[in-house]
Amino acid sequence: MLEFFKEGLLQFLSYSGFGNCTWGHIIMICIGLVFIALGIIKEYEPLLLVPIGFGIIIGNIPFTDGLQVGVYENGAVLNYLYFGVVKGFYPPLIFLGIGAMTDFSALISNPKLILIGAAAQFGIFAAYITALLLGFTPMEAGAIGIIGGADGPTAIFISSKLAPSMMGAIAVSAYSYMALVPVIQPPIMRALTTPQERLIRMRPPRAVSHREKVLFPMMCILLTAFLVPTGLPLLGMLFFGNLLKESGVTKRLANTASGPLVDIVTILIGLTVGCSTQATNFLRPASVLIFILGAFSFVIATASGVLFVKFFNLFLKGDNKINPLIGNAGVSAVPDAARVSLVEGQKYDRTNFLLMHAMGPNVAGVIGSAVAAGILLSFLY
Amino acid sequence: MKSIYRYFLILAALFVTTATFGQSVHDLRLNEMMIKNVDNYADEYGRHVPWVEIFNTAYNTVNITGCYLTDDTTGLAAAGKKGGVIPSKWYKIPTDQKMYMPQRSFLIFFLDNSPLYGPFHTNFTPAESRTRYIALINANGKDLLDIVEYPVSLRDTSLTFGYVMDGQRDATAFKKGTRAAGELAFLKEFTPNSSNETEAKISKQDKLKRDDPYGIGMALISMAVVFTALIMIYIMLKIFNYVTRRATQKSKAQEQAATPAKAMASKAGEEDDDTVDGPTCAAIGTALHLHFGSMHDEESEVITINMPSKHYSPWAQKELTMKRNPRR
Repeated sequence: MLEFFKEGLLQFLSYSGFGNCTWGHIIMICIGLVFIALGIIKEYEPLLLVPIGFGIIIGNIPFTDGLQVGVYENGAVLNYLYFGVVKGFYPPLIFLGIGAMTDFSALISNPKLILIGAAAQFGIFAAYITALLLGFTPMEAGAIGIIGGADGPTAIFISSKLAPSMMGAIAVSAYSYMALVPVIQPPIMRALTTPQERLIRMRPPRAVSHREKVLFPMMCILLTAFLVPTGLPLLGMLFFGNLLKESGVTKRLANTASGPLVDIVTILIGLTVGCSTQATNFLRPASVLIFILGAFSFVIATASGVLFVKFFNLFLKGDNKINPLIGNAGVSAVPDAARVSLVEGQKYDRTNFLLMHAMGPNVAGVIGSAVAAGILLSFLY
Repeated sequence: MKSIYRYFLILAALFVTTATFGQSVHDLRLNEMMIKNVDNYADEYGRHVPWVEIFNTAYNTVNITGCYLTDDTTGLAAAGKKGGVIPSKWYKIPTDQKMYMPQRSFLIFFLDNSPLYGPFHTNFTPAESRTRYIALINANGKDLLDIVEYPVSLRDTSLTFGYVMDGQRDATAFKKGTRAAGELAFLKEFTPNSSNETEAKISKQDKLKRDDPYGIGMALISMAVVFTALIMIYIMLKIFNYVTRRATQKSKAQEQAATPAKAMASKAGEEDDDTVDGPTCAAIGTALHLHFGSMHDEESEVITINMPSKHYSPWAQKELTMKRNPRR
C-alpha cells in the first residue's frame, strides 16, 4: 500500500511543473512577470504587455510532452488559438481595427508629412543589412528587420512567413520596443536636433472635408496595392477599416472593428505570441541577437525620420518648415510615437502642440511599414 | 492650376507606366524548341511534331492572344506601319482562356502546319522552312518580342535548343540583333513545359545571397518602392488639397455674392476658416494628451451632457421584482 502511494506520488510529481522545471522556465516566467509589471505599473502599452506577459507565463509552465497542452502540440487548445498567428490571419484583423480607429486628417491636410513615414522605414533595411552581416539568412534578416517598422502585427505577419522559428522572439522584441518608445526615442531626438529646431512652430492643419476622408482609403488602396500586392492583406484591411469609419454609414461595423473585434484579436495574439516563447525555443543566442538588432533598427528608424525632416527643411521656407521632433513619429507605433513628439516639444515650448502634426507621419508610418512588409515578402518569400 | 495638372499627369503617368511594364508581352521568350521530334513530347493526338515553348518571365499574368509566331519575319517593318498588312504566313495566336499565361509559366506550340488541329498548332513547320529561326512578334505586328536562331544540326538531332537560364536574355545584345555568348545552347535534357535549369535549382534565398550578399541592393530597391508608394499618395493628397481649396473658394464666392454684408465683413479682414487656429489646436492637443495619458479600464464616474441610456426594462429592474413591504 505504502509502495503504491509512493509510486503514485512520484508519478504525479513527474507530471507536475515542479518535476519538469528548468532554469530556462524560471527565467522566462520572470520575463513574463516583468512584462506584466511594466504594463501595470509603468503603463507601457498595457493592452499588449499584459497579455504577452501572461502568455509568457502560460507558455513556460513546465509540463511533460504529449499531454496536448503546449502551444506547439497538435490538438492543444493553445495550438488552435496559435493557428491565427502561424497562418497570419490575426495581423490583418488588427489592421482592420487600426484602420477603423485611425484618423488620417493630419496626413490629408499636410501631405508632405507622408514622406517622413517613408524615410523612417530605413530602419527596417538597415537592420536587414546588419543581420545579413551577422550571418542570418536573407529570410531571417528580413523578419528581424521588420522590427524597425515598430508595428507588432506586421512583425508577426512577416515573421510567420519568413522565419516562423523566430516569430516568438521577433514579436516580443517588436512589442517590447513599441512599449519602450517613450524611453528609446527622446535621447535620439535630442541628440539630432538643435534647440532652435525644436522650437519650430508648424502651420496649423486645415480642416479636412468628409469627401476627402472617404476618398482617401479608396485611392490609397488602389495606389499602394497595385504597387505592392504582397502587402494586400495588411493594406487592404487597414484602408477597409478606415473606409468603414469615414463613410459615416457603417458606424456599427466600424465600432465593431475598432472595438470588440480588435480587442478579441489583441487578446488572442498577445496571449499566443507570449505562449510561443517557450524557454526551449526562446532562450537561444539568436534571440539575444534579435533583441539587439531590434533595438538597432528602432534607433535607425527614429534617427532616419528626424534626419529626413532636417534635410527636408532645407527646401522649405517660412511656416512651411517642419519641426524635426515629429520625425520620430515616422515609425508606426501609433499613437505613442506621436505622443513622444508632443511631450518632447513641450519641454522646450509649453505652447507648441505637436501632437496633431506628429499624427501625420505616424499614420504614414503604418502605411509605410505595410508597404515595406509587402516588399520583403515579394523579395524573400 | 498648372501645378495641379502636373501632379495629375505625374500620377497618371506613374500608373500607366507601371501598368505597361507590369503586364507586358515583352516578358515572353521562346524558351526551348525541338525540330526533330522522334519520340519526345507528343501533342494531344499522340503525334511527335516539332514544338516551341514560350516562357512568361514576368511575375504576373500575360495574355499572349494576338501575338504572332513565324519562321519568316519578312514584312515585319511593313506590317507595323499604319495600314500595313500582316503577312498571312504568320501564325496569329487565337483567343483562348489558356493564352493567359500565369507568372513564370510555360506554353507549348506545335510547329506542324496544322492550324485546324487546335489553337496550339501553327500554320508553319520548320521542316519545310528555308530559314533557321523561330520568331515571336507582338500583336501590333511591329515589335519582335523574341527570335531564336537555331543551329542547322538541330534539324537532324533529337535535342532541344533554347535558353540555358530560363528566358534570361542580354537586352543590349538583343537590341543589336546579336546574342550574348552561351545564352542559347543545346539543352542537356528535354524540358517541355518546365524549367530549362535542370541542374540543382538555386533557391530564391541562395540567389539573393549570391547576387546581393550584403543586402544593399535590396535595401535600395525597397526604399525606392516605399518612397514611390508614398509619393503617389502625396501627389493624390496634393490633388485633394487643390480641389478642396477650389471648392471652398467657389462656395465662398457664391455665398458672398448672395449676402453683400458678409462680403463686406470678409473684405474687412475676416480670417480664412480653411485652417484651424492655434488655440483650437492647443485645446485638441491637450484633450488628446489627457485622454491618452490617463487611459484606464474603469471610469469611476462619467459626466456627460448626453441623455443617459437606459439599459434596463422595468421587468428586469431589481427593485420591481422584490416583494414590497405591506402598506399599512
